[in-house]
This record gives sequence, C-alpha cells and structure tokens, in this order.
Amino acid sequence: MLKMNRFQQIAALLAAICIGMIFLWRPTAIVYGVQRAGLYAAVALPMALVLGIVHIVNLAHGEIMMVGAYSTYFLSRTFGIDPYLALIPTVLVLYVIGVAIYKSTISRSVTGSELSQLILTFGIAMVLSQTMNLIATSQPRKLSLSYVSSSAQIGEISFGTYEFVFPVLAALMLIGMTYFLRKTKLGKAATAVGQNPRGSAVIGINVQRTYMIIFALSSALLGVVGSVFMTKMSIFPMVGGSYTMKSFCLVAMAGIGNLPMVVIGSLVLGIAESTIQAFPGGGGWSSLVFFVLIIAVILVRSFREKTV
Amino acid sequence: MKKVLRFLGVLVLMAVFTMSIFATGEAEGGEEPIKFGGVWPLGDITGDQGSKAAQIAIDEINAAGGLLGRPVELIVIDSELSPEKGAAAIERLATIEDVDFFVGGMSSGVHLGQIPTLKKYRKITMWTGAASHTVEEAMGPNQEWYFHLHPWDYNQGASYVEGWDAIAERYPEIKTDRWFLAYEEGPFGTASFAATKALFADREIYGEPFQSAAAGGGDYTAVLERAKELEPDVFIWAAWEADALPLMEQSKAIDFNPPLYVGAPPGWPADFGESPLAENVTLYGMWAPSLNNVIDNSKQFYDNYVTTYNEEPATYFAPLGYSAIYVIAEAVERAGTLDQEALIAELKKSKYQSPMGEIITFSPSNIISNQGIRKQKILQWQNGMQEVIWPFEYSTAEPVYPFKPWKER
Repeated sequence: MLKMNRFQQIAALLAAICIGMIFLWRPTAIVYGVQRAGLYAAVALPMALVLGIVHIVNLAHGEIMMVGAYSTYFLSRTFGIDPYLALIPTVLVLYVIGVAIYKSTISRSVTGSELSQLILTFGIAMVLSQTMNLIATSQPRKLSLSYVSSSAQIGEISFGTYEFVFPVLAALMLIGMTYFLRKTKLGKAATAVGQNPRGSAVIGINVQRTYMIIFALSSALLGVVGSVFMTKMSIFPMVGGSYTMKSFCLVAMAGIGNLPMVVIGSLVLGIAESTIQAFPGGGGWSSLVFFVLIIAVILVRSFREKTV
Repeated sequence: MKKVLRFLGVLVLMAVFTMSIFATGEAEGGEEPIKFGGVWPLGDITGDQGSKAAQIAIDEINAAGGLLGRPVELIVIDSELSPEKGAAAIERLATIEDVDFFVGGMSSGVHLGQIPTLKKYRKITMWTGAASHTVEEAMGPNQEWYFHLHPWDYNQGASYVEGWDAIAERYPEIKTDRWFLAYEEGPFGTASFAATKALFADREIYGEPFQSAAAGGGDYTAVLERAKELEPDVFIWAAWEADALPLMEQSKAIDFNPPLYVGAPPGWPADFGESPLAENVTLYGMWAPSLNNVIDNSKQFYDNYVTTYNEEPATYFAPLGYSAIYVIAEAVERAGTLDQEALIAELKKSKYQSPMGEIITFSPSNIISNQGIRKQKILQWQNGMQEVIWPFEYSTAEPVYPFKPWKER
C-alpha cells in the first residue's frame, strides 16, 4: 500500500479530478496523453539509470537512441526483417557501442567534474549525429509498416492503438530496472557506486567496471527504445537532440534516482501536452507547457525543501 | 643503410620534380577551364541530387567539345544548410577558385546569408533554390547579374490558385471550397498558412499548427481530429518530409478520409511512394519521372542520371541544377565571349527547353530583373509514381477523386 502525506493525497485527488474531467470532455486527449507519456518515459528511463543511479551526465543520450533506430532501420531494410526482430542484434550492437564510448572517453572523466562530462558527451553527440549524416544523409527515413496504423473504435471515436507499445515498453523497463537495482548483485553495486564510489572501491566493488556496464546497459536499452521509436516516427541524424533535452528535464523533475517518478512525471507531461493540443490552436503551445510544468515542479519542490 | 636511404630520397625528389614539370606543361599547353562554382547542401537529397545533375550537364558539355573551345568545370562546396558556411563557400569560390559563375542553392535561409557576398563579387549567378520573397527583398532591384530559376513563394501560391481553379472547372465533381491546412509551427508552416488564407480568400480556410517531427514533435492526432470534425473538401499539410509517412499512418489510425489529401513538403522521403498509404495523395512540385512519358528532354535527363549514378532522381532540384548549367552554357555559346555585359544580354534572351517541360525565359518579377520559372505543378501519387494532373498540357494521368477511404483499401 502506498503511503502518501497530506500534500501528496491532495495532489493525487486533484490529478484524478482533472483526468476525469478531461476524459469526459475529450476522451482521446487522455488516450494520446498516455501514449505520449509512454514514449517520454521509455526514452528517459535509461537516462535515469545513468544519471540518477551512477551520476554520469550523458548529453549523447538521444544520439545513442538515434544510432539504435538507424541500426534497426538498416537491418530491416537490408535483410527484409521486421524491426522487432532486428531489435535483437541492435541491442547487442548498442551494448558494444556503449562499452566503446565508455572505455574510450567517459572513463577518463567519470570521476571529474560534471561540466567536463557535459562537454565531453556533447562532443560525442556531435560526432554520432555527424557520422550518421555522412553515412545516411540528412534525409528522413521511415519504414512503412501496416501494423502501426492499427486502430480501435469506441462509439464515434477512432484512435490509434499501436502507440500503446510505448507505455507497455516503459512499464516493462521500469519493472526490469527496479528488479535489477534491488535484487541483483550488479544493480546493488551500481547503487553503491552512485552513492559513494570511493567507499564502494574500499569494499571491493570494481567501480570502473560497474560504471562501464551501467553505461553499456543504458545504451542497449536505448537500442530497444530507438528500434521501437523508428517503427512509428521518421528518423534522421538530428532526431535524438530534443529527446535528450526532454529526458534531462524528466529526470530532474522526478528527482535523481527516482525511477517511478520518471514515469509519473511523463504521464503528467504527456496528458498536459495532449490536453493543450485538444484546444483549437493549442498545437503550438505543447512545448511551452512541457517546460513550464517542469519549471513549476522544480520550483515547488525547492520551496518545500526549504520549508521542511 | 644511410646511403641507400639518401639514394631513395634523391629518387623521390626527382620523381616529384619530373611530375611537376609534366603537370605544369599540361596546364600551360591546355585551355583553362570555364569554371562554375556550385553551392548546395550535400547532406540533403536536394543538394546531393542537384549537384550531381549539374555535373551531368558539365560532362555532357565537355563530351560535346566544351564551351568556346574550352573545357568546363564544376567546383562544388557543401553549404551544410548553414548561412555562414554558404556565404564562406561563395567567398572561396570567388577568390581561391576564381569561378566564372555561381550556381546551386536550395534553402532561403542559407541564401539570405549569401546575398551580401554575392553582391560583393557580382558574378553571374543562376540560383536554383530559395522561394521566400524575403530573399527577393534582400537581393533588391537592378541586380542584372542575378538570375533566379525557382519560383518565388507568391508565384507558387498564384500557381496553386490557378491550378485548383482549372481542376475544379474541368472536373466539376472535385470540390475545393472548404480547406483545412495543418502546418508546422515554424516560419515555413506559418507563412504557408498566411499565404493560403490570402490567396484563397474566396474559400473557407481553416488551419491549425503542430510540432513537426523535425523539431521533436511527430504527434499529429490532435490536429487531424480537428480537421476530421470540420470535414474539409481539401486537407493540406505544410511541414517537412519527416512528417510525411507518420501523418498518413495517424490519419489512417483515426480514419480521417478527406476527399482531397494534399501534402506540401519541400521534398518527399525517398521511399514514400513504396508505401500503400501514399496512394492518391496529391502534392506540389515541378518535376517527376512520369514526365518522361510526355517530355523528351525529361527522359534524356532521367536516363543519363540513372546511368551515371545508378539511382533515380527523386527531387525537382535535380533537373533544376541540370538546367542552371545549360541556361548559362547556351548563353555563352550565343555570346561567343565571357564578357559579363554581353552574357547578361544573352541570358535575358534565353529560351531553354528544360526537362521540367517549361521553356525557361527570364523577365522581371516583383523586385528582381531576371525571374525564370513561375509555375508549379500539381501531382498525385498513383501506383507508387508521382503523376502530373495539372498543368493539363503536361498531365500524365487523370486525378483520382475522392481519396479512397482507408477501410476500402
């Protein structure tokens, strides 16, 4: 049973009332909001692992996802296989790329300042996107897949159902990551390394190896997300940039290391965005809503921390 | 060992010296080439294929004996879709490469950055891109050395009005009274919406912005639902190629079937036609491979391009790049000199039969003195091909109307 304080109870009640009212007014706003939230959460959870658990600032997050998306695209095109099959080799490829990136660059700055990690991973992001630009050109690519247009009809309302793959993926990732961090030796080691690397080394944890595996695991997860992402969206070398930004914001909003809050935050943002879009002329306001909500949450949290 | 190394070193030096003599001898003995300086965004399909097509024209001219008895050469620099890099490319072509003409171009934003440098050197320029009227304003009047091939945005708009009026007249069953424009929230989309409202003032125009996939968006469901509620005769979207297929997929998912489904991106994804969702989508453009059936020049250009590069030209920037070289080459032949004044006079008299069908001539537009093409074409995806449905003199197929409902596909 979840224990909530008075503030959380009121917030939960208000959220439930709002969702109910939106559902009565325009049910599809909730449907699309949940689908959108799933995508945000699926992209942000690997960052929550790397930034929230082992405290590596990775600005190449979206670009690694982009590499995963291209890998699946090219595998599908070349061998004529479904992206969900091509996802398997992509995960392995992304794991190896994660190890290579960590070993060649991030391992040198992992104990340094966050600013140096920021600049370093920004450089990696540029290298990845420009390399992909040279290989695949800037032309957007999209596989035509009949199942992504699947739909359901309730009364007069038709809506797409394929996009529910994102909330499902996010839920599976959350369960898997929580199990990994709480129940496995490596997961517990990762949490310890994130909290106190020096102390972890003293008690015999191989800190560098732990960092490397977590970074590579995060890259492999991004390979999964990129593969599912490319079934629905067009991909191009710069496609990852905006998702890096959104993931950072979600992890910051959730609080470092708080994986379930990443999902809840995504849900709030997804529903808020789709509700705004449901108003005539609201399409252009969704990005603004995203960042305004994040600023508001961070401000409220800092106010509460000061008053406690 | 040292003696052997020294001997080898002397041998290498002698070889380099001998080669440099031969190289110099060839340059002095042969004619200096006439140089075309091209600037395109090579990472984008428009620039990639535009520059490749221009190179085909250069190769054809050389194979036919060159110009004024001299070979021709194309030097291409990548603008990387950056105004700064585009301007630096013009600077380099004018100074280090010392080119005779400037050709190329795609984006209005990049071209705005290049205009001050172009004005500094005032070399004859044959520009294939940049539709925004702000570019024309920046270029200003009386720049006789500047020739603009691509229609301006107001030319395009007027052309669409003419086209839809003609289609509605010939096919009375096609209704175009009530429009819904879904547009990306950036300058391109908002300008398109404003222009549509102004140009089609006698029709009911509704519109709604969305965040393009190119800007981190890609969820069109809200805007599509609104369009579905309004039941327009024509649904048109103005955004980028990244939005093309996802828009169709989401339209199918929510069962949105407008009688006319029109897409107006600057370029289409290479594999869009392969998708069954592309069937009967209407689009704007200047050229498509289907024109090979009605225009001889188009077929010749197409065959040459496919033979040379083993790929199909997928954008009208390819025949535009090809035409830019030929328009200048024909003027040079007629003038018999590279003297700028004589050449400008000949360029103004141009009547070049382009692969796009139009005979390219130049006349003043709103501001500049030498505007080339003014008309767009209305096309429709049919069986994976872009078929021309207007202008009727170039039409390659009858329009399919109405857009086939998703449930019947």
